[in-house]
Amino acid sequence: MYLEVKDLRKSYGEGGSYVEVLKGVDLSVEKGAMCVIQGASGSGKSTLLHCIGGLEEAGSGSVSVDGMGICGLLPEELSDYRRANLGFIFQFYNLVPNLTVKENIQVCEYLTDSPLDMGELLGTLGLDGHQDKFPAQLSGGQQQRCAIARALIKNPKLLLCDEPTGALDSHTSRDILELLEGVNRKYGTTMLIVTHNNSIRHMVDQVVCLKDGQVMQDYRNEEKVPAAQLEDL
Amino acid sequence: MQKILRRRIFRDLKENKFRYLALGLLIVLGMYIVIGLVGAADTVIVQTAETAKANRAEDGQFSVFAPLTEKEKSSLEGEGITLEEHFYLDYAPAGKSTLSEAGGLSGDAGSTDGAVLRVFTQRKHIDLVQIDSGRLPKEEGEILLERRFCEEHGISAGDRITLGGREFTVTGIGTAPDYESPFRSFSDSAVDSVRFGLGFVTGEDYSRLREAGGSISSEEYTYAYLLNGRMTDKQLKEQLKGLEVSAGDIEDAFFREYWERNGGKLDGGLAVSLSKLTRFVPAGDNPRIGSAGNDKYVDKAAGLAAGVIVLILFAYVISVFTVHSIERESGVIGTLYAMGVKRKELMRHYLCLPVLVTFLAGVTGTVLGYSSFGVNRYLSEPYGYFSIPQVEVVYEPYLLLYGLAVPPLAAAFTNYLVIRKKLARPALALIRGERKRDRVAAMHLSGGFVRIFRLRQLLRERRTAAAVFLGMFISLLIVMLSLDCYAICSYVKTENARDTRFAWMYNYKYPEAKVPKGGEEAYGVTMKKEVLGYSFDVTLMGIHDGNPYFDASVEKGEDRVLVSSALAQKYGIGEGDVLTLLDEERDRYYAFRVDGIVTYSTGFFAFMDIDSMRELMGESEDYYNIVFSDHSLNIDHGRLYAALPKEDVEKSAAVFVEQMKSMVISLLVVSALIFAVVMYLMMKVMIDRSAPAVSLFKVFGYRKKEIGKLYLNGNFFVVAISALVGIPLAKAVMDLMFPYMVANVACGINLAFSWQMYAGIFFSALVLYGIINGFLMRRVNRILPAEVLKMRE
Repeated sequence: MYLEVKDLRKSYGEGGSYVEVLKGVDLSVEKGAMCVIQGASGSGKSTLLHCIGGLEEAGSGSVSVDGMGICGLLPEELSDYRRANLGFIFQFYNLVPNLTVKENIQVCEYLTDSPLDMGELLGTLGLDGHQDKFPAQLSGGQQQRCAIARALIKNPKLLLCDEPTGALDSHTSRDILELLEGVNRKYGTTMLIVTHNNSIRHMVDQVVCLKDGQVMQDYRNEEKVPAAQLEDL
Repeated sequence: MQKILRRRIFRDLKENKFRYLALGLLIVLGMYIVIGLVGAADTVIVQTAETAKANRAEDGQFSVFAPLTEKEKSSLEGEGITLEEHFYLDYAPAGKSTLSEAGGLSGDAGSTDGAVLRVFTQRKHIDLVQIDSGRLPKEEGEILLERRFCEEHGISAGDRITLGGREFTVTGIGTAPDYESPFRSFSDSAVDSVRFGLGFVTGEDYSRLREAGGSISSEEYTYAYLLNGRMTDKQLKEQLKGLEVSAGDIEDAFFREYWERNGGKLDGGLAVSLSKLTRFVPAGDNPRIGSAGNDKYVDKAAGLAAGVIVLILFAYVISVFTVHSIERESGVIGTLYAMGVKRKELMRHYLCLPVLVTFLAGVTGTVLGYSSFGVNRYLSEPYGYFSIPQVEVVYEPYLLLYGLAVPPLAAAFTNYLVIRKKLARPALALIRGERKRDRVAAMHLSGGFVRIFRLRQLLRERRTAAAVFLGMFISLLIVMLSLDCYAICSYVKTENARDTRFAWMYNYKYPEAKVPKGGEEAYGVTMKKEVLGYSFDVTLMGIHDGNPYFDASVEKGEDRVLVSSALAQKYGIGEGDVLTLLDEERDRYYAFRVDGIVTYSTGFFAFMDIDSMRELMGESEDYYNIVFSDHSLNIDHGRLYAALPKEDVEKSAAVFVEQMKSMVISLLVVSALIFAVVMYLMMKVMIDRSAPAVSLFKVFGYRKKEIGKLYLNGNFFVVAISALVGIPLAKAVMDLMFPYMVANVACGINLAFSWQMYAGIFFSALVLYGIINGFLMRRVNRILPAEVLKMRE
């Protein structure tokens, strides 16, 4: 397994405000697979993603990516882990507003010695002609494309997507999902997608449903529906 | 609405307490310095003027070759003016020279080696002595001494001193309004109370001292006058010019010898006329009178102006915080607009905190400034330099208003200008967080990623960078003020010692027939020249070409001079210029063509060929009145106005450095403090604004060093470029202002810095930046990767 999460627990607060968000989550994802994590608000899906991304420290349990355990790593070691393995895509894009599209992508290009070809990536993501624009000059969809390009430029082994279509209309959402599908196919990138959107589960290899910090369902799709054919996005 | 918003003000204050505390403390410090400095200046200006009036300060004074006759005196007093003899004798400690062996000042009054005490008869009508402690001398063997001299020598009432072989008991300590700056000579540039002081004895004792001899120079016949509104200085001078020396009335042996040699006939009446008046000095032209007040006018103006400039800087820094808040809260502001809140209400809200912080800080600073730690502390500086009486602190209403009103007004004005555009945007644009297209920030850049990133960061934070530059520039102005003071003092000290090649300079009243063996003759006439509202003595000095004591190769010609470097610097004179000097004694202007500048920093001199000068002044072919020598000469002191050893020149020059040392250090500390606090606060604002991006970069896997490189190291260039631009700019601005600040100081103004000094300032700025960068790196390290997930940039 490329990603393995075992008995992961995470809690916040103390005394009366104590909340256990993850209550012993187990999860395995194969290399190159697309996996969706679903659940209602407060189910712990984002916390799980952050723990896998090394952004939050787990209370107990373990997370390993490509055979490397990340729990207990020092902050600088976690930085190296993210730098070497991960790409992030957020619901609200988190582009640096005073950098152009190209410069935003360069933020991550700078982190690797063997980046993907910038021109090809811009072309693949439909950002040709927009590279010198600033985020404020782009539509929501274009901004998310830029965020995806930024995540992909260093060719990460694992792409963590937190509600990648959460801020987009259905048409643009479909475009973005098609894009992620294409990227998965082209680069073999393992993807973990946190989403509220039920339709997305049909296009991925694996679906994990969380409820109150526990895995309620974890199954693999026998047949995937291409993103272009998804309904009710 | 205001009520609800007001609650936010205190929350904001609490949230950013350290930021506002740091700024508030700087404002407190600034106002404390301004109120203390200006309050002390007002106190000195007002109180010295009042005590001078109460002590019947003179309208002027004049010196004569021989005392006025009773008839002359009556004639002048008949015009309605008041005259009083202020004759004096100078005494020096034993062993100083062959001149002073008979004189001396010793006893149990502490060490007074090398000092000169000028002894007067106590005054009855003009320039009355203000007693600080003790009483006036009443009986034989009693003396009152000037305050500063006593302080420097640890003398107190009851101590005994010996003058001219006679022992005196100090009965009192006080000050005289005609010696507020106790300069020994009118051309002195610095007060040195270690080496010069005043004493007042009874008329009988003065006569005994005169008869006993032992003074280091001949008696000086000076009269103080009060015009009583009956005539003008000019009219009095005209009358005095008409007085001639009646040689038969003068019994001085040196005078008689001198007179006979010059063709006078003592037994058969006068054959040659000689004007009696040797010097006429109205109080306004007397550098000893009113100098404390004059000096403080400069402090006052500079203090008030500096206070406003520094407050504008701090207000601007606060406005950067406010802009940051407005940008962060644009959605809320838009929502409030949408709900009907008016712009002026929000403007009032956003102005409230800056005004409150600056007002509270201003009040605290003003209270501290007026406390015993403020004005009284700043009064110790003029007390420690000028010979002025102890005075009560004066509380001027305008200064109180300044301290209370200027800080909040500066904050309100600056913040209003900066934030009004920010609040003028449409509600929807604010709700959406739309930003106005910023053409400067959006300019096309090329180069590597790191370079581009830093440039983008700089363009985005240019307002903050401007505050850093402004803060640095103001700090540098203070640094330059401090170092200009240091430079001028240090040059005076080193150059005066270097340029003074003679061991002794003798200034004759009655020159001998032949120049003493080993002496180099010169002819000096004291003239006047005005600069920046102050009139200084300029000595026109006739010397032989090849005079070993000056690097002046003078050429024949009655209109050709070489000027000393001190004169050239003070008056901005260069080669080829025309130098105009006023000979007050002859009431005539002389114009000279400047052939060049001679390296001579010790005084204001215009050198010319001695023969040409004798011809110009109508003197005989062998006339001289100054002798220079490389060793002590055996000259009778009765022939001299003064004998000046090189040691005196060096010591009085060193006084400058000593006096300025504490001021130079405190100015450097204040400037470093302003720079450090402004730079820290501004760079912290940059980091706070960039916190989401920093967090994001950490998510991507950026290491601490790399984040520092992108977000902090770019500031290195801001600081380095600000320093590179600011240092020469601040130096140029201060060099333009500085001559006005020292307009009343009689010395050359050499403000040149060595390249090492410039490099030192530059590297000090970078070191300070490095230290602050270290603190800020800790702040960057505290930003967690997860923060970006909780907020949107």
